[in-house]
Amino acid sequence: MDLLLTEQQSLFAATAARLCADHGGPKRLRALRTADADIDREAWRAVREAEWLATVVPDDRGGQGLGAFDLALALEQAGRQLLMVPLKEAAAVASTLSRASDESRASRILDDVLDDAGLLVPATEAASWRPGSRAPGLCYDHKSGVLNGHIAFVAYGDAADAFLVAIESDPRPVLALVPRSDVAIATEQNVDGSASSRLTFANVHVMAENVIATGAEARRLAVGLQELLMLGAAVELVGLAAAAHDITLDYVKLRQQFGRPIGSFQVLQHRAVDGFIDIELNRSLSYRVLAAFDACEHHPAMVAAAKARASRTALAVTRAALQMHGAIGYTEEHDIGLYYKRAMVLAAQYGGELAHTGAFSHLTLEQAGAAP
Amino acid sequence: MAATSAWDNTTLFVDDDPADRAFRAEVRDWIAANLPVELCNRSTRIDPPELKPWHRKLYERGWIAPHWPREHGGMGATLTQQIILFEEISRVGAPTPYPHGLNFIGPLIIDAGTGEQKARHLPPILTGEVTWCQGYSEAGAGSDLASLTTRAQLDGDHFVVNGHKMWTTNGHFADWMFALVRTDPKAQPRHAGISMLLIDLKSPGITVKPIQTIKGDAEFAEELLVDVRVPCENLLGGLNDGWKVANRLLGSERFTTGHPRNAAVLLNKARQVAELTGTLHDGGFRARLAALEIDLLAFSAYYRHAAALHGARRAPASMAPVIKIVGGELGQRASELLVEAAAGLGTLVGDTTFGNHVINPAAEMFEMRRVTVGSGAVEIQRNIIAKRVLGLPS
Repeated sequence: MDLLLTEQQSLFAATAARLCADHGGPKRLRALRTADADIDREAWRAVREAEWLATVVPDDRGGQGLGAFDLALALEQAGRQLLMVPLKEAAAVASTLSRASDESRASRILDDVLDDAGLLVPATEAASWRPGSRAPGLCYDHKSGVLNGHIAFVAYGDAADAFLVAIESDPRPVLALVPRSDVAIATEQNVDGSASSRLTFANVHVMAENVIATGAEARRLAVGLQELLMLGAAVELVGLAAAAHDITLDYVKLRQQFGRPIGSFQVLQHRAVDGFIDIELNRSLSYRVLAAFDACEHHPAMVAAAKARASRTALAVTRAALQMHGAIGYTEEHDIGLYYKRAMVLAAQYGGELAHTGAFSHLTLEQAGAAP
Repeated sequence: MAATSAWDNTTLFVDDDPADRAFRAEVRDWIAANLPVELCNRSTRIDPPELKPWHRKLYERGWIAPHWPREHGGMGATLTQQIILFEEISRVGAPTPYPHGLNFIGPLIIDAGTGEQKARHLPPILTGEVTWCQGYSEAGAGSDLASLTTRAQLDGDHFVVNGHKMWTTNGHFADWMFALVRTDPKAQPRHAGISMLLIDLKSPGITVKPIQTIKGDAEFAEELLVDVRVPCENLLGGLNDGWKVANRLLGSERFTTGHPRNAAVLLNKARQVAELTGTLHDGGFRARLAALEIDLLAFSAYYRHAAALHGARRAPASMAPVIKIVGGELGQRASELLVEAAAGLGTLVGDTTFGNHVINPAAEMFEMRRVTVGSGAVEIQRNIIAKRVLGLPS
């Protein structure tokens, strides 16, 4: 269903669709994979020039004062076109910095982010764990400011110039900027051509001026950061699933077997309808939770639900897409497999279906006092 | 039921404006003061005669037909107000009035009826004096409704009707039936030979027999029609226009029949029953409950989104079938979880007292089997989306 958008939002969505179509697509993804690039620098430059990061930053902090909902209009298109750009990562950082109370420190860094002085991506402990568990991966000494430990599964870690590190395991959480030069980075390629990095911090001295928040504020900001990443991935998955679904519809309308298009067979029709319905529900859910996020309503269970469902559905839709393509879907040559692989990566990124279903269960039943 | 959870799945994404909030509070107070307590949270079916006093009260308050225009005695309410009324009535486990008069034939008469038909039929639908049933299905015409064979032949100023209608909810309580009948047996496509007749069930030649459901009650009936004479003025819309007339219905009535509240209430019962039986401690139960709550959340977001679009007259063709499919199937899965929650108590024929509530899990589950079959099976709804929305070939 159409979103109910303002005129400005409709215009933005149309512009985003055009930009992503111009810079993305399966052909582009193949080229990047061949070049072993984990970021599309050209597309990223276009995104930066279009100033999409500014959507999530208030006017008085140098942004456009829109919100995560508006950013999502672009993210859905990025997902649709398999764009390999750190849009949700950089935007989540920008949004988080803009909400920090210590304006002097955060503003300086935020200005750099908005001026494109370098790529700053989030490195959150939560992303490398199962939600609910609290195994510490990082150790920060508040007195000396020395950081030790590691964070796994950092997206665009290899392309980053600096990291916004969220240390949540400590009794006094910390949110700090750590330059790339202080971090040992080990990067591995994902099935879709993207990469994820393991960051190791060995006696890293975090400069006082780079500590953005500590204590309760750091936790609040880290939660917001993580939620934006989850919702960003959810809406990218909506776009991706919709694109894979459209490609599949075109295919089953053309492909002939038994003397008729296979799309005339009811079993395939119903499978396609179920995919359509799931995508529709996820689009409504993601944008609704994004609107709540923008309204500063804190609904961790809803965010978990949105990511859990987006992950499940995108995998189901792309798997069905492969099946409906038959043998050609199993080839390297055909593009549909690229969507499946990207769905796998985005589904797992920032927590998969089961992790977030567990988190949802924990959050909703715990509140009920009914947990064993 | 007392809320045991900060997670309230019955109010998800409710976004009333100040006027809506005031209306909701007014409705809530009025229901608390006026609802007969014996009608609340019943595990057995409430037949139309028992519902009449409650119908009458809603009528006297002016809230019986929120979706009808004011000139015909309705409220002329916004869709949000209609939804609020439904939500507040169902919130306390009270029954909503049967839809056949108010939601089905009433709007069709307003839409396609003659002045005389409006004057005669609309007032008693509002007051609840007259009970209606829908005569569409036949033994050989279910999902393939256009193959119906009940025949109406013109004989002077009357139609003579012969045939056999089935699965008519409340048929054995109804005073009138709106029926799809074949008036042109040669017409192609077949639905071009169908008309809509309003039939007084007291007419000679009609035999009504209740049909027992798997739930154990007599929800519906079958009607044998032998040489039943129906005056021509009871034709609704044009001759052979019945299919068109009937199809004007689909749309906003889905917002009550397909409301996510139905599944939410069942999930809440499942959770509360599971707490008492200990099933809530099973990891498998908790995982299933979470998965269903997540689906309910997504459906609630879709539902509110659809209502907003419908209000802006921008709802897509897929909306009504999606609400029907998802609302129905989610309700079923929730009712199955309720039976799981009840463990050994889930298979008993009779009611069980859980805490201070009387619940019949098996009956709730049987009841939900109906919703994916009645008024267009979910498979037919999927066909509609496949062809009209996704453009898949025949």
